[in-house]
Amino acid sequence: MKKALLFLCTAALAFACTKDLEPSRDILLDGDKVDVGAYSRSCRKLFVLNEGGYGSNNSSLDFLRFTDGNYVRGAFRKMNPDVAGGLGDVGNDIVVNGNELWIAVNNSGIVEVVSAEDERELAATQVPTPRNIAFDDKYAYVTSWSGAFASSTDYSNPKGHVYRIDLATKKVEGSVEVGYQPEGIAYYDGKLYVANSGGISSQLPPAYAYDNTVSIIDVSSFKLVQTVEVAVNLKSVYSDGNGAIYVTSMGNFFDVHTGLYCLLASDPSKPMAVGGQPLKPEAVHVSCSCISDGTVYCIGTADEYDWKASHTYYLWSCKLNENSKDSFRVDLYPQTFTGVPYGMYLLSDNSNNKCLVLGDAGDYFNPGTVSAYDLANETKLWSVTAGVCPGHFAIW
Amino acid sequence: MILPLLCSAFLFIQEADTLKASRVSGTRERPVLLPYEEADLRKEAAASAGLDDVLRRFTGVQLKDYGGAGGLKTVNVRSLGSEHVGVFLDGIQIENAQNMQVDLGRFSADDIDGIALFTGQKVLRLQTAKEYAAGASLYLRTAAPASDRISVKLRGGPFGTVSPSIRLDKLGARVRASSSASFVYSDGRYKYPYFDTCLVRENADIRSLRLQTRLYGKMDGGEWNMMLYTYGSERGLPGPVIRRAAGFPFSAERQSDQDLSVQGAWTKDWSNRYSIALRAKCAYNYTHYATHPEKNPMALPYDLRYRQYSAYCSAAQSFAFTSSLSADMSCDLQGNWLDSPVHGNSPSRLTVTSALALKFDAGPLRIAGTLAWQGAYDHYPSWRDAWMPSIGLTWEPRPWLGLDAYARRSYRLPSFNDLYYTLAGNTSLNPESALQLGADLRLSNESMAEGLALELRLSPYFNRVSDKIVAIPTISQFRWTMLNIGLADITGLDVRSVASFSAGRWKLRGVLRYSFQQALDHSVPGSLTFGNQLPYVPKHSATADLDFEWKGWRLFWETLFTGERWSRSANIQDYHIPSWSISDVALSRRVALKSGAELNISLRCSNVFGLHYQVVQGYPMPGRSVSATLDFKF
Repeated sequence: MKKALLFLCTAALAFACTKDLEPSRDILLDGDKVDVGAYSRSCRKLFVLNEGGYGSNNSSLDFLRFTDGNYVRGAFRKMNPDVAGGLGDVGNDIVVNGNELWIAVNNSGIVEVVSAEDERELAATQVPTPRNIAFDDKYAYVTSWSGAFASSTDYSNPKGHVYRIDLATKKVEGSVEVGYQPEGIAYYDGKLYVANSGGISSQLPPAYAYDNTVSIIDVSSFKLVQTVEVAVNLKSVYSDGNGAIYVTSMGNFFDVHTGLYCLLASDPSKPMAVGGQPLKPEAVHVSCSCISDGTVYCIGTADEYDWKASHTYYLWSCKLNENSKDSFRVDLYPQTFTGVPYGMYLLSDNSNNKCLVLGDAGDYFNPGTVSAYDLANETKLWSVTAGVCPGHFAIW
Repeated sequence: MILPLLCSAFLFIQEADTLKASRVSGTRERPVLLPYEEADLRKEAAASAGLDDVLRRFTGVQLKDYGGAGGLKTVNVRSLGSEHVGVFLDGIQIENAQNMQVDLGRFSADDIDGIALFTGQKVLRLQTAKEYAAGASLYLRTAAPASDRISVKLRGGPFGTVSPSIRLDKLGARVRASSSASFVYSDGRYKYPYFDTCLVRENADIRSLRLQTRLYGKMDGGEWNMMLYTYGSERGLPGPVIRRAAGFPFSAERQSDQDLSVQGAWTKDWSNRYSIALRAKCAYNYTHYATHPEKNPMALPYDLRYRQYSAYCSAAQSFAFTSSLSADMSCDLQGNWLDSPVHGNSPSRLTVTSALALKFDAGPLRIAGTLAWQGAYDHYPSWRDAWMPSIGLTWEPRPWLGLDAYARRSYRLPSFNDLYYTLAGNTSLNPESALQLGADLRLSNESMAEGLALELRLSPYFNRVSDKIVAIPTISQFRWTMLNIGLADITGLDVRSVASFSAGRWKLRGVLRYSFQQALDHSVPGSLTFGNQLPYVPKHSATADLDFEWKGWRLFWETLFTGERWSRSANIQDYHIPSWSISDVALSRRVALKSGAELNISLRCSNVFGLHYQVVQGYPMPGRSVSATLDFKF
């Protein structure tokens, strides 16, 4: 979801990123020093959202300040000591919109808006179980698992919704019912693309079934216009800004692998599986993913059905071929990773060298790590201890 | 005499009195290792004390308490993990195959006479095999009827708590019977601080009803007893205190339970040398858990019903070779069935436990070796088994000096949740292993001065829990599994000292307890948590009790101290829980009426200084509260 928009946002924010660097009020915060090298010199901060543990109220906001290489932990709590409870319980998404940082705090029922400049709270909007956020120029759109709050009357297995929040007033203005437990969301050309996971639905009797659809919403009428079957347990949605909508699937952990799928905005009813046709990815697995310059990057592992503790992960990227529009360019990188990849982000330097920032969740109870890898030299650049489950990134 | 029966006046709690050797009245068999902690609830100062109030003061015990009358309360002994602690009600284990946790909040202190906690093997004759197999054992002994009497009790407490109970004891020619009923209602609405404001705990109400009938009798030169137990409750689960949007409640979750069990035991001495005990139990447990999304927009829509059935039988034999050497053999068979909506299927298990014990008891020296074997067959199918040896000895060279030491290895089977929980279970788990080494030095001066008695006990120990079953995520946050990768080393020292003084009608007793416990995570070398203290285990903890009696009056003061802890094994500031100390005071008056009736009035103030604290992070405990109990026996 998020990174999709980030692509759009980074493009839109090219100006914001290069304007004069003024000291902000959080300049006094410091943390671990890392060597950021030449990456993202034109931007000020890389924000890291640590989800925390469900019910532990320990979601936290970290950032890496590019100007001095300081990795600051727990910035929200430090800059907002008067907000009772800190950032809250399970931060699930973080997206930059202009100079605002939008954070979906899932189990607090809050969409938090803070200033990207100094992490001070600007607004906290109530949305039940918010998951992910997308924007157009008037509204923020937030996926939500909870149907009970909105129109649904089926409390035994309610469908999710997309809530619309006015960017100016930060107030909720309506919602649309989508599929079961919607996750990722992306905006492209007047439409919202929503991935429905059915993650809770799969645990509920009698069907124990995942959702497998993408819901498409027309933003002008704010109505559901199309539902497309893609694959079970969908997760992230990215728009490449050029008509391709990418959707990741988490598989069913049993006999359906994870995978990456692509819909064309021009004809979304025919989803394509990356890595094989018909819809059956064989060699491309997705544990976590992000989008950068119209290319989707994924980290995956082949032995997904294995119960063993450690896996070896590989990095690959995918881009729709501009000319044919029905085939992909898939690149495999030589580097492998271990641990528990939980979220990723790509930084670039001026010569377009890429640096992978990877969040590792460790054991999910204790603080994880954020590490950076130089993809050209296959080296690890730096690594810091973050919060619990560092899984979401945004750049400003 | 077959078994050396030594008088032990201070040992007032024995395993299952009803099953004890009865041939020489006034004498009792001693366990090889004395109980690590014990309490006589008949002598507890404040009648309102629940089991948790008693257990939390024991050395080396962590009581996990989620707060309020309906909050889960489990006990963890010397950081073994609560799954290793076997809870035995009159000698028969209370089981929960689903999660291996026994909620002590469900037992009222009303019907329980005594609690004893053993870390080493106690090795009394005619034990069940499961007693040999438990890593640590907590014994609850119900009160047997001693005379025809009716007891009526009414307790009123804070947060809308009302608890009436009644108990009838009847002695017949051949059968003694006791029936009791107790009801608890609590609205659970207590205040707690939340940053700058003060909130009230919501959805923490509970109502429960417990009915119990016990029969004791003699038959063909043997003894038997039987118990019928039912418990029903309906409660709110208030959930952790977290940041929550103002319009949404923390929780609307409700849970209701129905328990039904019948258990019985029969013991008989066939000769001076040979005795036998047969025991059996059938239990049914129904749990309904619902999140009520219609009341809480934040709730995930779960409405789950679990049914657990278990059937158990045990045969134990004891044979005395000489007056000091005896052997015991016992075998238990247990079936567990779980009917669950989230375990993919309905798991079932057949467990066989056998034990062999050899005991040598020659006055000042007692030695015992035991070997237990447990095998469990699950219908999935999977099979796992383990051997559990132990050795223990006690040497009491002088009346004022006692030394004991033990070494044992025990295992706990993976629970149904560990094995079969949707997307988390792992059917290839091994039993979790606990190696325990412990020693005690006991000193007392009972004979030295008139009216003054001093006792001191020093207990160093080392435990290693390996193959610890831990939940870890594998390839995604939704794909968890359980693995045998945990390793914890626990080094500790428990100190208990007791001083009592009496002169005329005055009685004063003081108990000081101190525990040092270094419980280190040694699971993954090089990880952030390696070498850190385990979650919720304080390095230092202490309690001080002062008990003052004069005529029928009694004043009891208790202060508990728990040192700093961490809620995660990452011992960093974010997860630091500061130390806390709370004090309780109780005043009671006993009046003996001419008719032979007895009235007991007590008043208890818990958390006198109104300190706000949390035992479990996110679950605030109540502040100051006062409760009163009226207990009338006639």
